[in-house]
Amino acid sequence: MKIELFYTPGCEKCAAARDDLKAAAEEVIPGVTWRELNALEELDSAVELGVVTLPSLAIDGQLVFSSLPTCRQLQRELAKRKTG
Amino acid sequence: MPRGLVVPSNVHLTIGKIASVAQVSADTLRYYERERLITPAAKSRGGYRLYEREALRRIRFIKQAQQCGFNLAEIRALLALRATDAACCRDVRRVALEKKLQLESKIKAMKAMSHALTRLIKECSADSRPLDDCPILAALERENGVKRRGR
Repeated sequence: MKIELFYTPGCEKCAAARDDLKAAAEEVIPGVTWRELNALEELDSAVELGVVTLPSLAIDGQLVFSSLPTCRQLQRELAKRKTG
Repeated sequence: MPRGLVVPSNVHLTIGKIASVAQVSADTLRYYERERLITPAAKSRGGYRLYEREALRRIRFIKQAQQCGFNLAEIRALLALRATDAACCRDVRRVALEKKLQLESKIKAMKAMSHALTRLIKECSADSRPLDDCPILAALERENGVKRRGR
């Protein structure tokens, strides 16, 4: 499973939450691929996924959260996809 | 009032004068006021709106933000951000980046529409067949008629 976090450089909110979210994802999906993408440098990818607000989070190439989720929200979403 | 004339900050301008300097209509300024984007500094005894020079900067801000694709609600938020002590440049940068993403998304959608029309136009040989046989009209009626085939 692959998680992509689109962020804007200098986003303190993203920096603060990133490690917790990454750890939360790892708990549910050990070895999960975690990528952090500067939306300005990865504009085409962001547009392709439909990202219009930052930060946004995509799972397996699908935009799932258009703002930062809580750790619990992310874990719930990952668990749903794991079993589904 | 001629364009580019320096207006002292303490001078109050009527709506007609400030509209002329800012190169917008008086109706536009009234509309901005209804949208809570600008407010007259005072009203004359006769009830006429009076503006300070600062209003010119604000009008210029609004016009140029519109040229970058921001709608009036977004401009109102930008103006509020500008007045927020705790905000800094990166907050504005994020807003600008989000607007760029929205614009790119619209461009992508419009390109898809244009490609769909190109395909429809190619289907039509532009001959004098009756409308009942028009492939463009038929494709628009058909289920998935404008979707790219093989996808």
